[in-house]
Amino acid sequence: MIPPEVLLPVRILFGAPVAAILFGFFVMRRVKPEWTHLPILASCAAVTASSMMLAAYVYAGKGFDQPVMHWSVSGDWGVSFGLRIDGPCAAVLAMVAFVGSLIHVYAAGYMKGDPGFSRFFLVFHLFFLAMIGLLTANDYVQMYLFWELVGVASYLLIGFWYHKETARAAALKAFLTNRIGDLGFLLAVLVMISVFKTTRLQLVYFHIAAGRLELVSLIALGLTWAACAKSAQWPLYFWLPDAMEGPTPTSALMHAATMVTAGVFLLVRSWPVIEAVEGLPHLIAWIGALTALGSGVIACAKKDLKRILAYSTVSHLGLMMLALGVGKVGVAVFHLVVHGFFKAALFLCAGNIAHALHQSTANVDEVGGLSRSMPMTHASFLLAACSLAGFYPLGGFFSKDAILDAAWHHGGALSALSLLIAAVSGFYIFRMLFLTFFGARPEQSRDARFHEAEPLLSVPVLCLALGSALVGFAGGPVTRILASGWVMVPPGSPVMPGDINLPHMNMVVALLGTAMACVGAAGAYCATMVFPGWDWRWRGGRVEALIESDFGWKIVVGWFAAAARSSAHVIGVLFDHKLWDGFLESLPRALGTGADAIARAAQGRLNDYLWWMAAGTALLLGRVLR
Amino acid sequence: MNLTVAVWATTGAVFSIGLAIVVVRRQLLAMLLGLELMLAAVNVSLVHHAELYRDEQALAVVVLVIAVAAAEAVVGLSLILRLRRAGVAADTAQLRELRG
Amino acid sequence: MSMTLTGLWVLPLFGCLVCSVLGRLWPGSVKRAAMAFSLLSLGAVVLAIGSSWSGGAFTTLNEVGPRWAYGISYRLSADSLSLALVGLTVFLNLICMIASWELEVSPGYWACFLALTAALTGVFLARDLFFFYVFWEATLVPMFFIIGLWGSSGRRHAALKFFIFTFAGSVFMLLALLVLVSSHHAATGAWTWDLAELDAKTLGPLARLVFWGLVLGFAVKIPMVPFHTWLPDAHTEAPAAGSVMLAGVMLKMGVYGLLRIALPLFPEISWEALPILGGLAAFSTVYGALCAMAQTDLKRLIAYSSIAHLGFCLLGVLSRTSQGLSGGALQLVNHGLTTGALFLMVGFMYERVHKRGLADFGDLASRAPTLAFFFGFSTLASIGLPGLNGFVGEFMALSGAMAALPVLAIVGSVGVLLSAAYALPAFQAVFWAPAGPGSVSEKMSDLHLREKAILWTMCGLMAWIGLAPKPWLAWFEPAIRGLVR
Repeated sequence: MIPPEVLLPVRILFGAPVAAILFGFFVMRRVKPEWTHLPILASCAAVTASSMMLAAYVYAGKGFDQPVMHWSVSGDWGVSFGLRIDGPCAAVLAMVAFVGSLIHVYAAGYMKGDPGFSRFFLVFHLFFLAMIGLLTANDYVQMYLFWELVGVASYLLIGFWYHKETARAAALKAFLTNRIGDLGFLLAVLVMISVFKTTRLQLVYFHIAAGRLELVSLIALGLTWAACAKSAQWPLYFWLPDAMEGPTPTSALMHAATMVTAGVFLLVRSWPVIEAVEGLPHLIAWIGALTALGSGVIACAKKDLKRILAYSTVSHLGLMMLALGVGKVGVAVFHLVVHGFFKAALFLCAGNIAHALHQSTANVDEVGGLSRSMPMTHASFLLAACSLAGFYPLGGFFSKDAILDAAWHHGGALSALSLLIAAVSGFYIFRMLFLTFFGARPEQSRDARFHEAEPLLSVPVLCLALGSALVGFAGGPVTRILASGWVMVPPGSPVMPGDINLPHMNMVVALLGTAMACVGAAGAYCATMVFPGWDWRWRGGRVEALIESDFGWKIVVGWFAAAARSSAHVIGVLFDHKLWDGFLESLPRALGTGADAIARAAQGRLNDYLWWMAAGTALLLGRVLR
Repeated sequence: MNLTVAVWATTGAVFSIGLAIVVVRRQLLAMLLGLELMLAAVNVSLVHHAELYRDEQALAVVVLVIAVAAAEAVVGLSLILRLRRAGVAADTAQLRELRG
Repeated sequence: MSMTLTGLWVLPLFGCLVCSVLGRLWPGSVKRAAMAFSLLSLGAVVLAIGSSWSGGAFTTLNEVGPRWAYGISYRLSADSLSLALVGLTVFLNLICMIASWELEVSPGYWACFLALTAALTGVFLARDLFFFYVFWEATLVPMFFIIGLWGSSGRRHAALKFFIFTFAGSVFMLLALLVLVSSHHAATGAWTWDLAELDAKTLGPLARLVFWGLVLGFAVKIPMVPFHTWLPDAHTEAPAAGSVMLAGVMLKMGVYGLLRIALPLFPEISWEALPILGGLAAFSTVYGALCAMAQTDLKRLIAYSSIAHLGFCLLGVLSRTSQGLSGGALQLVNHGLTTGALFLMVGFMYERVHKRGLADFGDLASRAPTLAFFFGFSTLASIGLPGLNGFVGEFMALSGAMAALPVLAIVGSVGVLLSAAYALPAFQAVFWAPAGPGSVSEKMSDLHLREKAILWTMCGLMAWIGLAPKPWLAWFEPAIRGLVR
């Protein structure tokens, strides 16, 4: 039984988006396509309200895990779907609903007049719905269902402007890379169901707590692999920077709320499983740290505004992985929430700039000195950028500080790496800020079209930026939500595997972190304001080639793709069609040749037949007369 | 040399010549002639047989064979004539397909 | 004794005769008569399903007829598996009739489809192996004509290849059946062809040989790699409706035969054969997908994807676990719907512009948005998107394989991964990419009402099976229960 006090919000959570999508598809799309967003925005409001109610419910220390329907059953094998409203779910859901809804509002303004407006909104909302489903799932198969649905929705959105070659390629790349990751998820679920006979999260926790660890490393590795694809970690991160080919609201939603957070969320959900494997958390921490540093460095050198932000997302997801890897589950979730705010704000600012140019993205060559023509956007960007870099008392400070602290206490190379990442983050985001809003260097074209975005665009951005500034103070509530909702863990096991509490502020770490961010920001100031042309002058060498190829990994991925394509050609055309089918078809031909040889004895010549007749008669006569 | 041996030798030779003509020659007319030769050889040997054993049935067979030979000549010759009219050579090398 | 089951196959056969006669007298009325008989057949199947449903559970319908020399008897029986496949047959037949409604074809076309339906229905109902074999071979004749007379340019070669390949396979099956029956006679002194009475234990050392003979016959039909090369040619050259019946129902005969004959008769041997047969099935999923990646012709691509999909069916069935068998059986229906819909759409495109190469199209999402929607939907179902039908079958089949022999499940999962790698690029090339030089996209018009109605029905079923597969699985449960190892 779903507790009656949350029955309504839970119903709205799914009912409203489904109804809005169906209504939009069957009615609005035919009758008034340019109004498709109205039912969808209403659904967003309802979803946000209900997810806040659920967060409050969990905050009060309650939670539930309730099977709702038997999905498929056969003999003693069965998968049932249900709802699990607990700490991680409620915390992330509240952020996703709020940020996602604001991005929906923004999209209504951004996409106005696009011929595919109604299609965009339907898929956009489907994306949102899929994420809600993923967060509230209580079963791995159910999670996998929404996991894939997220992938498909992102595919359709990245390829939204399908006339563009790059958009098509990016969509395909995103989907196929995610499919490679899903292979891990699928295998993990298959192993799980054959070992534990269940895929329900809670029962899996029970089995793990009871010490049933056979094949658990396989399960955990599969899940980690899947998370690496969805959350854009090395080795499968490369789809995300290309994924900004879609309309900007898509990028914002994907980077902040609905897609890339799914991987981190999966690991949070599966933490009991992951933790049960010796060494795996450590591996995750290292993957996260190295991805974060590498992509941060790449972000420093990118010229496309959305691409800078995309690599920054990869970097921040790496930080979350790092936090997870050192066992700080709560810190990872908190950073996920904070990151959702500032990354959405930053992407939408970039969207405002591109929108003024009527392009899908903008380049540092085309901008410069926008602080005067776009003050609101500038203010929002500044706020969000400071939050990202981690300046006190903005949101990013608290979450990043917690991660730095976690790494600090873990010690070793990870703590040094995390500090380095902090500096790099400060550099790339302030470089972007200075290049975009200040100066107008000679290398940058001054476009007269820049103007402040209309309120429908700028107000959601400002809200998000303010949110990113203030969300840091929500550390306590988030921790409490995380802790209190985790009510269904098996008795006798720790309340929540991993550490959910945020660390107390450690002055040394806080000062070090802030100092590193300042160093990064100062470096950016030097490279863009003191020597304004430097960013254009260093390019063209081997260093740029190295960074452009993502330290060579893009080339390796290219080899894999080429190998797959050519093996398909070799097998499909050369082997199957030419060789094997050719051989099989030659069999009847060989038979025919043999038949022709025999047929030569009976070509219809009378004399031949008479010969045979005479010979036959002679033979018979010989037998008879003897 | 008694008569039986002489008759057998002669008819055997004539029969063999007829058979050879039928098998080797491709001209339909020649083949027909070869056929007639074979029949004639058989007839002669049958008459000798009737004489030897006082067998009237053999004479009846001779009459039958003559009748069949006549009928066959009629059909065969008319077929050859028809081929001639159609402008086709009466040559088995060319006549290799049965068609309605 | 009721004659319901006999009616199921006699009705379309009678329809075929009526159409042949009408074709001489009033050629214009043939398609109406054919449609009427298709509807009647569907009604009859619905009736049969209704009468088998009593007291909240399925009962098996039986019909026992006379027994002739050598123990040949006329016995029909319909459990849920048979009824499901018969239902699929008549449903797809009706879809084909509606889809072909505007075609300019001679009356024989309609008669052939009815004859095919009759023969397929017979295959799924017959429990006497003699009749099973007769029906099995009888399906070849109408399909041979459908491909050979109403196909595209290479139709003669394809029809001949189709006939010879599958016929060669069935010869082995016939041989195996004869050995089975005669050794049963030798051991017990009684002649019988009845599946329920035959006992494979009488075979002794020959059992293994008979099993492989049967499997060879089924494998060609399924088709399992390496006996699959007739399929791409047959599909490519067949008319759209022919491809639908071929992929939708005829390929299912092989898996059905395995489920109905080979596994129940040879439970031990088939289990021993799992590494080989299951290995080939898993290999088919990867191999079919890789081949599909290299294709430039839409129909050929879908044909190779069929090979991959049937690999999943086989994996599930061979695993002999409850979930694998249910999933494999469900995948039979799924594949009929999904691939049927895809072939139909390619057919609609071919009717309009007489092209079906990937490079012949482009930008159809703008020119024919409804077609793009349905094609995208079916493509997603075909690549196993959770929430649509394909996933349910694939997932359960893989889960079964994981329980039986994990390596198979791992290889099969790679097949799932690869399915996206051929389907989506093809979708993009046809619907998203700009129309290249020599493209015929500007001649394309969007779907009209008749076509939309068909596709709504099929896509609705796909979503239904995907979201709530439980009733569908419950449907198969009684039929597969006995096969679980």
